Amino acid sequence: MTIKSINGCIGCEECVKSCPCDVIRMERGKAVIAYPADCQICHLCRMYCPVDAIEMAPEKSIPVIVPWG
Amino acid sequence: MKLSARTFAIIAGVAIFVGLPLLFYALGDAPRRTILKEALSILTLLAFTMMLGQFFLARSNETLLSLFRPPQIQKVHKVIAYTAIGVIFLHPALIVLPRFLEGGIRPWDAFVTMITDWGNLGIVLGLVAWGVMVVLGVTVFFRKNLIPRFTLRYRGWRYFHGALAVSFTILALWHSIALGRHTDLAMSVFFVTLALLGFALLARLYWAAAPKKPSNALISGGAAT
Amino acid sequence: MTAPNDATAPTRRTFLALSGATAGLASLGMAAWAQNNVEIDVDAVTNTTHATDVLVIGGGMAGLFAAVKAHDAGAATMIVSKGRLGSSGLTPFGKGFFVFDPATETGTIGDFVAAVSRSALGTNNPVYTRQLAEHSLDRARELTDWGFFDQTLANRPFMRPITERAIPLLERVVITHLIKEDGRIAGAAGFRLDAEETVTIRAKSVILCTGAGGFKPNGFPLGDLTHDGSIMAYQIGAKITGKEWNDGHSTRSTNPAACYDGWGDMFERIPSTNGVEVHHDLGVDINYRAYMTGNPVAGGPGAEQPTDEIAGGPFVPEEFKNRAPPEGGGPGGKGGAPGGPPPGFSPGANVGGASAGMAIHKSEGLVPVDDRCASNIPGLYAAGDALGSHMAGGIYTQIGSSLAGSAVQGAIAGEAAAEYAGLADTPVIPDARIAEIVAEILAPLRREAGYGPAWVTQTLQGIMIPNFVLYIKKGTMMQAALAYVEELRDHHAPMLRAANMHELRLAFETRNMILSAEMKLRASLMRTESRCSHYRLDYPELDDENWRAWINIHQSADGSMQLEKQPFDAWPI
Repeated sequence: MTIKSINGCIGCEECVKSCPCDVIRMERGKAVIAYPADCQICHLCRMYCPVDAIEMAPEKSIPVIVPWG
Repeated sequence: MKLSARTFAIIAGVAIFVGLPLLFYALGDAPRRTILKEALSILTLLAFTMMLGQFFLARSNETLLSLFRPPQIQKVHKVIAYTAIGVIFLHPALIVLPRFLEGGIRPWDAFVTMITDWGNLGIVLGLVAWGVMVVLGVTVFFRKNLIPRFTLRYRGWRYFHGALAVSFTILALWHSIALGRHTDLAMSVFFVTLALLGFALLARLYWAAAPKKPSNALISGGAAT
Repeated sequence: MTAPNDATAPTRRTFLALSGATAGLASLGMAAWAQNNVEIDVDAVTNTTHATDVLVIGGGMAGLFAAVKAHDAGAATMIVSKGRLGSSGLTPFGKGFFVFDPATETGTIGDFVAAVSRSALGTNNPVYTRQLAEHSLDRARELTDWGFFDQTLANRPFMRPITERAIPLLERVVITHLIKEDGRIAGAAGFRLDAEETVTIRAKSVILCTGAGGFKPNGFPLGDLTHDGSIMAYQIGAKITGKEWNDGHSTRSTNPAACYDGWGDMFERIPSTNGVEVHHDLGVDINYRAYMTGNPVAGGPGAEQPTDEIAGGPFVPEEFKNRAPPEGGGPGGKGGAPGGPPPGFSPGANVGGASAGMAIHKSEGLVPVDDRCASNIPGLYAAGDALGSHMAGGIYTQIGSSLAGSAVQGAIAGEAAAEYAGLADTPVIPDARIAEIVAEILAPLRREAGYGPAWVTQTLQGIMIPNFVLYIKKGTMMQAALAYVEELRDHHAPMLRAANMHELRLAFETRNMILSAEMKLRASLMRTESRCSHYRLDYPELDDENWRAWINIHQSADGSMQLEKQPFDAWPI
C-alpha cells in the first residue's frame, strides 16, 4: 500500500510539497493520500513531516514489472 | 469498611484515568512506531488524562472528600498536576525529539515548522492551551503570594484557578481531537465525557457556593477594612 | 437441467472478484480505454504569464547552481520545478559528492581525466570530465556554506541562497513545452498541479535542469523523472545524445518497488564528499549473468555471491577488473545519485531493472555544442543529467561525480545563459502561438474518452523493462519492441485522457517516456558494437574502427527521428 497512513496531520503541507510524484493532496486542511498508485516509496514525505505523522509500507498498490525474477 | 471504600476509590480512579486511556490506545488503529515514540505518546495521553482527573481530585468531588482528608487529596492533586504539567510542557518538544535518532528533518526545523503553522486551528489551539497551562502552573507555584491579592482571597483564587483549568481543558481537548494521532472516536468520547463530568462537578460546587458569595464577600471585605 | 460443464466460465463469485479488481484498477487510473470523467471545468482554466531573463527549469542540484550563478551574473532569474527545490528528481537521494582537492590528491587533474577516459573506453568527453575536477571544490565549499552537508534533506540548504537573492521560485508547475521563436529560445509553458491554471513564461534564455528519466521503474527513486527536458527540447529541434547507455541498478525481489527499503539507510544519510576513485561499474554484467544462468541470486540478500565466471558478457578493461564494489558501500554515491554499490550493483540484489529507462548519469540528454552547456538552439542550455555531456562516459567511473557534476555544470550553464541573455533581445511570442500551446496542454482534459496514462505507462514498462530488450540487446528483439513503441507513439500518446491536473501530468510524462523509449531503441539498434553499459548479444565486441563516436538524435522536418554519429573528442558540426 506504499504510503500507508497519515495520523496526527497538522496541515502544514510539507509532505504535499516534498512528494516528487504528487501522491499527497490537501483536503479540508489535512493531507490525504490521493494517488497511492504513483508512490515510489522514497519516504521523503515521512522524512519532511514535522510531526512524524506518516507511516510507510514497502508494498506497492499496483502490479510491479521487473526484468526477471 | 471505610478502608475498603478508600481502596475501591483508588482502584476505580486508576482504572478510569490510567486503564481506560491505555485500553483505548490499545484498541486504536493508529500504526505502532518505535518503542520510544509509542512510550512518549502513552506518556502524553496519560498526562492529559491526569489533567482531566484533577477536576475529580479536588474540593468539588464530595465523594472523595467523604473518604479522604482534604490535605491528602490536596497533596495527590499537587503531585499529579505538577507531573502532568511537566509532561505537557515538554509535549511540543517530545514530538520532534525522536528525530535526533533518525534521518530526515532536523528536530529544530520540525519544531519551527510545527509551531509556526498558524493557519491550522489545531496548532493555534494547542499553542494557546500550552500558554494557559504554563500560567496555570506558574500561578499555582506562587499562589501564596497571589491569594492575598484576590478580593475574595482564597475563594477568588479558586475561581481563578478553576477558570484557568476549564479554559485549558477546552482548548487542549479541542486541540487533541483536531490533531491527535490517538484521539480517535473512542478516545475523544472518553476525554469529552471526563471533561464534562469535571466541569459539572466544578459548576455544582460554584453554584452551591454562589448564594453564600455576597455574605462571604461582605465578611472578607469587612475583615480587610 | 444444464450441466455446468463449461470449466472456463467464471463462477459468480470469481466474476464478482474479477469485476471488483477491475473497478479497483479503474479507480487507480489503470483502466485502458475509458470515458474521461473530467473533474474540473476545462473552460475555466486560466493562463498566468511571467517574464524573466533566464528561466531555470528544474529544482535539483543543477537547477540550484544555474539559478544562483545566473542571478549573480546579473540576469533576472526564475526557477520553475514540477516538484520542490531539493526534493524532486534524484538530488534528494545522492549522498556522495566528488571533490578534487589538489591539497589531498596524489595525482593531477590530468591523471584523473586520463583514468576516466581509460575506464570509459573513450566514451567520455574529456572537456567536461576536466571541468568537473576543476570546479568541484568551489561548488562543495558553497554547499558547505549553505548547510548542505549538515543534514539529510536538501530543501532548507537549497532555499538559503535562493531566499537571500530573492530569486522567484515556481514550485509544482509542470513544464510541457519549450517555446522557440525566430530560431531561438523564447520561453516555456506548462500548468500548475495545485490550481486549474496554465503558466507561460517568456525568457531570453532557458536552462534545462530537468534531470534524466526512466520508465517509472520500480526500486529507484525515478518516478518523477521522465526525460521531460530532452523531449521538449527534441520537439523544438535540439539534438539528443547518449540514449543507448544503460544504468544497471538492480533491486530486491521482495517488494522490488520499495526504493527506500532497498537502499538501506542511504536515503537518510547526510551527504558527504569523497576524493578520486575511478571504477568501471557496469550493472549490465549482472543482467548478463541473469540472462545466461537465470536469476543469479535466488537466495536473496545475504545469500552466497556467485563466483564462477560466465563466458562472454560485457567487456571490462583489465585495469578495472576485480574491483567489485565493496559490500555495504561507502558514503560515495555511484555517480552521485543513489550511490554506493549496496543494493544497486551488487549481485545480491536479486532483480534488475530498478532504473529501467535511464542511461548513465550525464551521458544522455541535450548535445552540448561547446564547453559551456549550450545546445544547438540559441539561448537553450542544459546542465546535470539533462545535458548529454558524457562527463563520465557511458559507464559509471568516478564515485560521487554525478551530484558534483550537476553542481559544476549548473554553475557554468547559469553564467553562460546570463551572458547570452545580456545580449539577447526580449523575445516576442505571438498570442496565437500561446493559445495554440495552451490548447495542446489542455487537450488530454478535453478528450471525452481516451487511454489512461497509467495503463499506457504499464504497457510501455512491459515492453521495455524485460532483461532481453534493453539490457541484453539484440537487433530482432529491439525491432519488435520498436514496433510496439511506435504503436504507442502513434495511437496511444495522442489519445491520452486526463481527469484532473495530476493525470494531466501523467499524460505528458507518459508521452515523454514513449518518445524516450523510441530513442533508446533506435540508438541501441544503430550502435552495432558493445561498449561500456551498451551490450549487444549480436555485436558483443568493441568496434573501435566504426564506433569511436556518440549517437545524436534529432527530429527532421517531416517529424521523423534522425540519428547521426559524432566522433569522440569532436564537437557537433
